[in-house]
Amino acid sequence: MSQDKRLRIFFTGVGGQGTLTATNLLARTALMNNLEVVAGEVHGMAQRGGVVESVLLLGGWRSPKLDHGEADLILGFEPLETLRALPYLRHGGSVFSSSDPLPPLSVSLGVSSYPDLETIQSDIQKVASQCTFLPCRELGTKAGSVQSGNTVLLAAACASGVLPITLEMLSQGIKTFLPEKHQASNLEALKLAEAYLKSAAQ
Amino acid sequence: MGKHPLLSEKRGEKQLLLGNEAIVRGALEAGVNMITCYPGTPSSEVVDTFRRIGGDGRYKMEYSVNEKVAMEVACGAALAGAMSLVTMKHVGLNVAADPLFTTAYTGLPGGLVILSADDPGCHSSQNEQDNRGYARMAHLPCFEPASAEEARAMTRAAFALARDLQQPVLLRTTTRVSHMRGAVTFHTLPQAAQTVPFQREPMRYVPLPAVARKRHAALNNAMQRAQEIADQSPFNIETSHAETKLGIIASGVARDYLADALISGGWTDKVDLLELGMTWPLPEKKLSAFLKNHSHVLVLEEGADFLERDVRALCQRIGADVSIEGKDEILTDMGEYSRSLVMQRLAKWFSCPCPLNPAPTPRTDLPGRPPNLCPGCSHRSVYYAARQVFGDEAIYSSDIGCYTLGVVPPMRMADFLFCMGSSISGGSGFSEVSEKTVVSFIGDSTFFHSGMTGLANAVFNQHKLLLVILDNGTTAMTGHQPNPGMLQEALGEGCSHLDIEQIVRAFGVSQCKKVSSYNLRGLIKAMTEFKDLPGIRVLIAQEPCVLYARRTLGKRQPNVAQVVEQNDDTRRCLKELACPAFYMKGEDVAVDQNLCSGCMVCLQVAPKSFKAVKREGGRP
Repeated sequence: MSQDKRLRIFFTGVGGQGTLTATNLLARTALMNNLEVVAGEVHGMAQRGGVVESVLLLGGWRSPKLDHGEADLILGFEPLETLRALPYLRHGGSVFSSSDPLPPLSVSLGVSSYPDLETIQSDIQKVASQCTFLPCRELGTKAGSVQSGNTVLLAAACASGVLPITLEMLSQGIKTFLPEKHQASNLEALKLAEAYLKSAAQ
Repeated sequence: MGKHPLLSEKRGEKQLLLGNEAIVRGALEAGVNMITCYPGTPSSEVVDTFRRIGGDGRYKMEYSVNEKVAMEVACGAALAGAMSLVTMKHVGLNVAADPLFTTAYTGLPGGLVILSADDPGCHSSQNEQDNRGYARMAHLPCFEPASAEEARAMTRAAFALARDLQQPVLLRTTTRVSHMRGAVTFHTLPQAAQTVPFQREPMRYVPLPAVARKRHAALNNAMQRAQEIADQSPFNIETSHAETKLGIIASGVARDYLADALISGGWTDKVDLLELGMTWPLPEKKLSAFLKNHSHVLVLEEGADFLERDVRALCQRIGADVSIEGKDEILTDMGEYSRSLVMQRLAKWFSCPCPLNPAPTPRTDLPGRPPNLCPGCSHRSVYYAARQVFGDEAIYSSDIGCYTLGVVPPMRMADFLFCMGSSISGGSGFSEVSEKTVVSFIGDSTFFHSGMTGLANAVFNQHKLLLVILDNGTTAMTGHQPNPGMLQEALGEGCSHLDIEQIVRAFGVSQCKKVSSYNLRGLIKAMTEFKDLPGIRVLIAQEPCVLYARRTLGKRQPNVAQVVEQNDDTRRCLKELACPAFYMKGEDVAVDQNLCSGCMVCLQVAPKSFKAVKREGGRP
């Protein structure tokens, strides 16, 4: 793979959402398609309701930790976390994010306020060349499980062409790497994402 | 169930593995016979993976009660001829250092590899000590992988070396390497290694002073051989370009950042590289030649400046006329390296502009999302009770586990902490010279780890302390690994349950009570009774970790809490119990049914405000 196809993807979400599972699914799908893959995760204390971040590097990058301004693509599983991760995006990069907030405790308790979605979107649009928000929780629930909402996000990124991974590859990845009982809902989530993007484009 | 993919016998098979899983594969390829550990991030997945894959009878393994014990069990097994692995996080090696230093003298014929998973950046740790220092101090050959594939290959090589030299070998990873995923190509999977029959040899294995003096010389000889091996090691790679006098020496994860920085800067042809994977003993011949062939050398290593200092000393010894650079204000001994930091360092060294693009400015006004005790966490109600009884009057001596998060407001249940087990002994010392009541909190696994010795000491020396043992029946923070306090039915065969209350009483503590962590009135009553009593008082607050209860024990409460009245108590409960399942719905307090675990502690805090209702559907 030539160096101009090298991609750095930053994943962010909230502990318990399945951010690392989604990273791993995309990473294994990439390897199955003979792409050079390195992924980086942080486990442990952060997983107790904190922010969970991971990276996926395609095409020969080796650094398992990204700095600000390095990601070509941000996949955000929660809108506030997408905004928090925005400094990691290079100018002109792409952002795909869930539009379903999971308010942090300080917001739930009324101590601080959650930024409204328009602010989040406009902040992102100042940096990103492409910014797509999807109702992942709604589509995931419709597909059969909240967690399959993560696949909605992966599918949207694959469908956009920013990744060297197509929807068919992702579909194959789901069938190969996810436990059988989760396959149907995740394949359905993939279809729902495709349909949602089509209707949104019209 | 079929064989686990990690046990694949297909040579050349390629799998995407976590660094820690790759270590497991490397150990299997070496034929590992025995694995011991104490769990600790970022090392835990190694032994958890060994547990999960079962191993077809290839190896024995155990979760030991602490790192020193794990080290000693592994050393004993290696002495009896087994190829042994012991895994721990960096601070665990402090606990295990005693047997380590001496078994390096006696040697271990079966072969012992020690995994130390360091945590630069303190992702899940109380310090960022660099355990390459132990390699130097205890005289251990050391491998430092920088990719998942290297984690496999170097683990395999570390075992071969450990058995060849009969010396303990250090495999040192960092968080980023342990938790990196990458393609790993499998080597053949042999049967478990043949054990080396034990030869009775007290004048080697019983380190009386006269024996130890001789063994020190034997150790030095072994390390001399290791140095020759390091000079030939395929993990120490030189990449040369004919024209340059600039050279970079790099080790560990810094090699990854360097590789990307060189490509990003367009500097690949500008420098020669000497990348070190087997980093101790120093490959002196290789290094000497490299130093003599270059006029300027930059040393890149995350963490301490061990390699830089050694290279400087080597230059002096061999009389190499070369400018050495390393740590500076860009690349310090603090935190983690990164590609852009290495780029900035290289640009400074090359005296050229740094081609880094400006990054978006971070917003500082976003609501934070710090880790927190889970909804229904049994520690929350205990902390709430303690705050009710002691307020700010007591001093809170905390320990290591999920419950350290009790430091967060509104609980504020941690005033100090040193290390695993220190809550009891540190609290004992504090109370000796303080007028204040000292309340110590320790979890079940940490109690077995090194709290028991502190308690024995506290009884022996007649300290005054109120000890709360937060017994949630598992090693929660690191991923629910077994410990002796775990229920027998959860432990299964092969492990025996130890009863904490019996231990406490056997130590001579007569003031000991056990209360359910969800019984708020019982907790407050016990703490109030204990408050002004002299001597050692132990309250065991018992209730399984809510995640463990749900995932492993299959227990889930049928009811959840619901707000039925908005009043001052409702708001006080929100503020003082601060369960993550609470949220504000406009002006009203509400409970998120998906998050509520059904512990019903809020009903006890504010009986008029909440009631139990049947859970509707909810999360799977």
